[in-house]
Amino acid sequence: MREKLLIGRLIDTGSQVHRLDPRAKLTAMLLYAAAVVAARSWPALLSLAAFSIAVMALTRIPLGTYLKAAKPLRILMLFILIVQCLAVKGGSVLLAAGSWHLDSAGLEAGMHAVLRMALLVCFTALLTFTTSPGRLNQGLEGMLRPFARCGISPERLSLMTGIALRFIPAILDEAQTIMKAQASRGADLKELPWKEKARMLTALLVPVTVSAFRRAEDLTASMESRGYRLGAPRTQYRPLSWSLKDTCFVAVFVLICLEVVWVGFY
Amino acid sequence: MGIQLEHVSYTYDARSPLRQTALRDVELDLAEGALTGIAGSSGSGKSTLLQLLNGILLPTEGSVKVLDVRLNAGEKLPKLAPLRKRVGLVFQFPEQQLFARTLEEDLVFGPLNFGASPEEAAASARKALEAMGLEESLLGRHPLQLSGGQRRKAAIASVLAMEPDILVLDEPGATLDQVSRTELIRLLHRLCKEEGKTVIIVTHRLDELLPYADRWIIMHDGRPVFQGAARGLVDTAAKLPDYGLSVPLSIRCWHELETAYGLQAEEPCLSPAALAERAMQLMEADARKELNLCVKSC
Repeated sequence: MREKLLIGRLIDTGSQVHRLDPRAKLTAMLLYAAAVVAARSWPALLSLAAFSIAVMALTRIPLGTYLKAAKPLRILMLFILIVQCLAVKGGSVLLAAGSWHLDSAGLEAGMHAVLRMALLVCFTALLTFTTSPGRLNQGLEGMLRPFARCGISPERLSLMTGIALRFIPAILDEAQTIMKAQASRGADLKELPWKEKARMLTALLVPVTVSAFRRAEDLTASMESRGYRLGAPRTQYRPLSWSLKDTCFVAVFVLICLEVVWVGFY
Repeated sequence: MGIQLEHVSYTYDARSPLRQTALRDVELDLAEGALTGIAGSSGSGKSTLLQLLNGILLPTEGSVKVLDVRLNAGEKLPKLAPLRKRVGLVFQFPEQQLFARTLEEDLVFGPLNFGASPEEAAASARKALEAMGLEESLLGRHPLQLSGGQRRKAAIASVLAMEPDILVLDEPGATLDQVSRTELIRLLHRLCKEEGKTVIIVTHRLDELLPYADRWIIMHDGRPVFQGAARGLVDTAAKLPDYGLSVPLSIRCWHELETAYGLQAEEPCLSPAALAERAMQLMEADARKELNLCVKSC
């Protein structure tokens, strides 16, 4: 199960992108998301795609791995394409069946939406492929610090995110363990009819949920027993340090944002 | 027929950059009706090896033959249900594998999947429960209401209830107290010797299994580095630390006796009782010799 879910896992190739400050990567990601939303034409989207491929290549992780990260969302992408094709009208008629017709504007809007989503998912995977959950958490905490004045606790939010990120693979492992036990006793999900599949998956919910709560309780007890208090001052084991490389990385993303806006207007 | 592994390799996440090879070019031949112990340091591939025997994992290279079922890497799979009916697999941390609403439902899950009638399944469940020393009053309880030790025993019982021909257990004694561990090993030994079942046990406690195992496999870095009988393991025990294992106390004691009395040709005594008895015999013989010498010199 975890083998299929690549997003959220660190793939350490020791590239320059891996060594960047997580705050730089998070900022770049926000800029990238803004650029993806702003890209409304083929030239803007294609230049963004070329830029994404270049950054992905810098991570030394095969491009196929990024595509695999987006694979679980292919049904959703297909759904978006169909909805856009059905909803958006205009341009020339490409296909007609009775009263229904597929317009070129609908197909183009659908393809734009799918490409935008694929770019966003693949590129978000870059963040988790190149940053360990701990560093990501640290980066998030650092970025949220200015909001402390508004009553938002960055420590609480980053702790929640960090634990959630760590629990996803743990819970998937737990579910896989039970599914393996069921398969070894003659109920292999792959060999069962759909109705039975649904029943077996429902049977997973209770033990996996109970186990997640138990893990959470154990984790809280373990942290408290080792002196952890939310809000108490703590020193960082590996403090973050911002370098010129980080500034350059963010600057490149600012430029690509400006480029997308410029292409959109002219 | 038994179990044969020919040039078997297994890689997790084989098609991703996170791939990890757990088994490398493994060649194994396990006879039916024997009790085999598998030992090795953490990450040596023991658990992966066991999961190949039940078809839970499929080889990424080579061929696994269990009884009359052959699983070849890259080929279309046969139906696995007949294999799983005959090979019962107890995973590591089996207490995490109970999922039904009551213990009884969990115990009958396997037998019902393999075509037993509800009455037959219930009878098998009770028999397995009794074999594991659990009370019938627990049958109506939710598995999560059982204690840690009870859950582990219940998970083992859920596999015993299927009455498989081959029993494969991944560290079944971990977290059980010593009495329960000894009882479990004796039960598995009895199933092997009296009912002809093939039993394969992964263990870190070599000392406890040494008196019972017919054959040993030592795994290191995804490969079996030793395969053979206890005698062979005793002779090559000095290499165990190289594989991340400590030399079992019973083997160390036997080596002491062997060196002191020149017992190299003898079958080693590896249980505490057998060792103590042999040591007593040897000391009595020594004492008699000394007495005779005294008598003669007088």
